[in-house]
Amino acid sequence: MASKEGGDKGKGAQGAGDGKEKRRKESILDLSKYLEKSIRVKFAGGREAAGILKGYDPLLNLVLDNTTEFLRDPDDPYKLLDDTRPLGLVVCRGTSVVLICPMDGMEAIPNPFITQEG
Amino acid sequence: MASGLENYVNQTVSVITSDGRNFIGTLKGFDQTINIILDESHERVFSSSTGIAQVVLGLHIIRGDNVAIVGQIDESIDSRLDLGNIKAEPLGAIVH
Amino acid sequence: MLPLSLLRTAQNHPMLVELKNGETYNGHLVSCDNWMNINLREVICTSRDGDKFWRMPECYIRGSTIKYLRIPDEVIDMVKEETQVKARGRSEVNKGRGGGQNMRQGGRGGGRGAFGSRGGRAPPLAGRGGGNPGRNPQNKNKK
Repeated sequence: MASKEGGDKGKGAQGAGDGKEKRRKESILDLSKYLEKSIRVKFAGGREAAGILKGYDPLLNLVLDNTTEFLRDPDDPYKLLDDTRPLGLVVCRGTSVVLICPMDGMEAIPNPFITQEG
Repeated sequence: MASGLENYVNQTVSVITSDGRNFIGTLKGFDQTINIILDESHERVFSSSTGIAQVVLGLHIIRGDNVAIVGQIDESIDSRLDLGNIKAEPLGAIVH
Repeated sequence: MLPLSLLRTAQNHPMLVELKNGETYNGHLVSCDNWMNINLREVICTSRDGDKFWRMPECYIRGSTIKYLRIPDEVIDMVKEETQVKARGRSEVNKGRGGGQNMRQGGRGGGRGAFGSRGGRAPPLAGRGGGNPGRNPQNKNKK
């Protein structure tokens, strides 16, 4: 409930600004489009998780439900293993969020660069 | 703009980043956080076995956080370097 | 030219973004803000070792985690004068507000004036002719 409120507030604030002003002051990220959808989040330090976005605030603090964390190589915190572990309902601290993308449409692919990068 | 970088604008500079890489290019701009625009840039990759390799990169924005050193290149001296025969260990990254 | 002006101009262009963690993201820049936070679309993510690849329809990247961005060469010729006009306007405002500050040479007013017609512009000439000596003392003053 509280998390829903956060989402609505964000939307309202965005609606208040107009045109360029909105761009200046409000986030370029509209998280409302991800509400109740599964998103992938990468954190500073290498942790990665996926979960259903239940709420957020302008500082990028997130509430994720049904969260799974992607386990990592103990020797290399940036190397993902295939294993995951369930975390359930979590709050993600905004300051440590590095990247957000929707899980829908995200897929591992073979090397798309013919030689190396273009 | 008290960084002193204004004197290097439109000059060839060498930027060493905190991960130990070395970018050469024309400084086209910068800001108060030392974000840097490098045009026509290339990277010099040092190797103790094969000499310096140059990788052409093009237009770059390097975020100020990662900039360790910006130095002006004297092109008349630089062009006399025989990069292929200079063998050196790559720089390490800055440990925070 | 300001790096963020170039980045703004690069909207809708393809680019490569390398993060501090070593991952690279190839995609089209949708939007960016003054913190260098960016939205990319049609993204290919490459792992640090270049051995794994992911496709993502879009992603949001926090600016502070970026190491560098590679931008198509032609974008630098498309950066509009608009940004410099804006910067000049801002420095005019500061001059007005700063008032007496401009009287002090080498004080903070000098730094602000760098965009305008006086103040900070003088040192570069001295610097170019005689090397560093002319410049350094002033920098110390500004700190």
